[in-house]
Amino acid sequence: MALIADSAAPPRDRLGRARALHGVLAGVLALCALASLQVGATDVTLTAMLGKLIGGEALSQMERVVLFDIRLPRLAMGVLVGAALAVSGAAMQGLFRNPLADPGIVGVGAGAGLGAILAIVLGALLPVWIINLVGNQLTPFAAFLGGWGSTILLYRVSTRHGRTSVATMLLAGIALGALAGALSGILVYIADDRQLRDLTFWGLGSLTGASWAKVFAAGPLIVLSIGAALVLGRGLNGLALGEATAAHIGIDVQRMKNVAILSVAGATGAAVAVSGGIGFVGIVVPHLLRLASGPDHRTLLLNSALLGASLLILADVIARVVIAPAELPIGIVTAVLGAPVFLWILLKRRGLVDL
Amino acid sequence: MLEARDIRVRYGPFEALRGVDLTARAGEVTAIVGPNGSGKSTLLGAITASLPHDGTVRLNGREVEGQKPWALAAQRAVLPQSSRLAFPFKVLEVVRLGLQSGTAGDRPEVPMQALARVGLAQYADRYFQDLSGGEAQRVMLARVLAQVWAPVEDGQPRWLLLDEPVASLDIAHQLQVMEIAREFARAGGGVVAVMHDLNLTALFADCVAVLSEGRLLAFGAPAEVMTDETLSLAYGCALRVSAPPPEGVPFILPHAALA
Repeated sequence: MALIADSAAPPRDRLGRARALHGVLAGVLALCALASLQVGATDVTLTAMLGKLIGGEALSQMERVVLFDIRLPRLAMGVLVGAALAVSGAAMQGLFRNPLADPGIVGVGAGAGLGAILAIVLGALLPVWIINLVGNQLTPFAAFLGGWGSTILLYRVSTRHGRTSVATMLLAGIALGALAGALSGILVYIADDRQLRDLTFWGLGSLTGASWAKVFAAGPLIVLSIGAALVLGRGLNGLALGEATAAHIGIDVQRMKNVAILSVAGATGAAVAVSGGIGFVGIVVPHLLRLASGPDHRTLLLNSALLGASLLILADVIARVVIAPAELPIGIVTAVLGAPVFLWILLKRRGLVDL
Repeated sequence: MLEARDIRVRYGPFEALRGVDLTARAGEVTAIVGPNGSGKSTLLGAITASLPHDGTVRLNGREVEGQKPWALAAQRAVLPQSSRLAFPFKVLEVVRLGLQSGTAGDRPEVPMQALARVGLAQYADRYFQDLSGGEAQRVMLARVLAQVWAPVEDGQPRWLLLDEPVASLDIAHQLQVMEIAREFARAGGGVVAVMHDLNLTALFADCVAVLSEGRLLAFGAPAEVMTDETLSLAYGCALRVSAPPPEGVPFILPHAALA
């Protein structure tokens, strides 16, 4: 018995559009990757090298080094870091049911920052065998430990009787961030000038110093974590209705929280460790995609990975060429590009963001 | 059959439910009524396993405790009192969330049918957050209906558990929603609804449980349970059943619309 007779046809489907976007964004990523291989501080270009190869000429030693040891690992790391930050942002926003959440909320940023500062300022005090073991990778290693450790700590604090309180995690994260900030402040106070410079640049983020060693160290963890996060779509959709309702439509909420938090800690911990603090990707990318094709997490997570990777390697290209032969920290580029675009979208589509 | 036995719930030192039994049969609408704070929603929370509680709840003969969320979601859908969405989903997308539990997932036409059932098919492409409170509530009902679209599946009844389903609705839509609940029950499903409106309860419920201060005060058919004595005791004011108001004061009862 329908009191109101209606026979409207089903509306156009945003899910279809979001799926089509997978292909488009994969194409964009391929273009950005080519641009990243083409451009750099030296005059070596991909097109020139391809021309040589087609003409049967061998590449010079310098061309091979630039392509295989500098630009390719840098590209791989940009893809990994960009995808990790964007997917983690989307997953955290879904988990905290808050479009402003980013991976920093689970303490990764604060913990990783403290780890990095400890390594830069006090690293020389470590026993020689440890320094020999990790070599010049001490800062990323310490940043990863700090990021991962603080997430696990927050997670433990906010879990009682097998239930994780998202609100407790948010508040405890603020407390932990303040504490890490205070400790970092003390270290900054005792740091010398060179260390201060290192600290500042670490905080701004950069893909400089990308190497295959770093890609192989961080890559597996990032890939594994992103893979785990990508299957969270259905659960995060349910969580948009609230935790109780998510459970009522058949989602194992606690298991989903476990996967989300651990994968975000893994992906961003590793990403921040190898690239420093790169802001804005985790917030801007999921937002843009929600505006373009709706908030369905089943497509949003993969699209975030693709767009995040594209955006980061594009920002890296800009960072490399804009003041060549020097390099701009990439965090500056993402913020300078991301912030105005983001503001413009907010002003234009305010109704969609208000909830 | 839905059987709750000796349900006890504590909020800190406060005992919200002090040993309540409730039996709801498939094919019937069972209403839970009582004053504010009597434990109606708490009882529903215990039945849906979203609140920690003592006592046992059995659904279709199997204990609810320990069943996987997706197994429960295939047997029963739960309508919460109010819903806020975290992201700008469209109305049809919200209803589709009800399908994700799987059992009706292979039937893509169900969400539109469920929306049509609550009279909101032409709203499918609107944003959920732009709807009025009553419309949003009906969209959520459509989501819940889509989740257990067939009232009987594999010979087992499925259940609608509704927490104040008509709270923010106008009188026409209150009747519409209660008709939907009754029809679901007549088709073999089970319905348990927390109700504030005693008139609608009298009209649509087959069985009424009256709660007061965390205890079951009365349980039975509306005519047996809804007496001056029981209701006055439960609600703490002098109520008289089926007594016309004083001359000159208008009164509007849903009964008239159904006559």
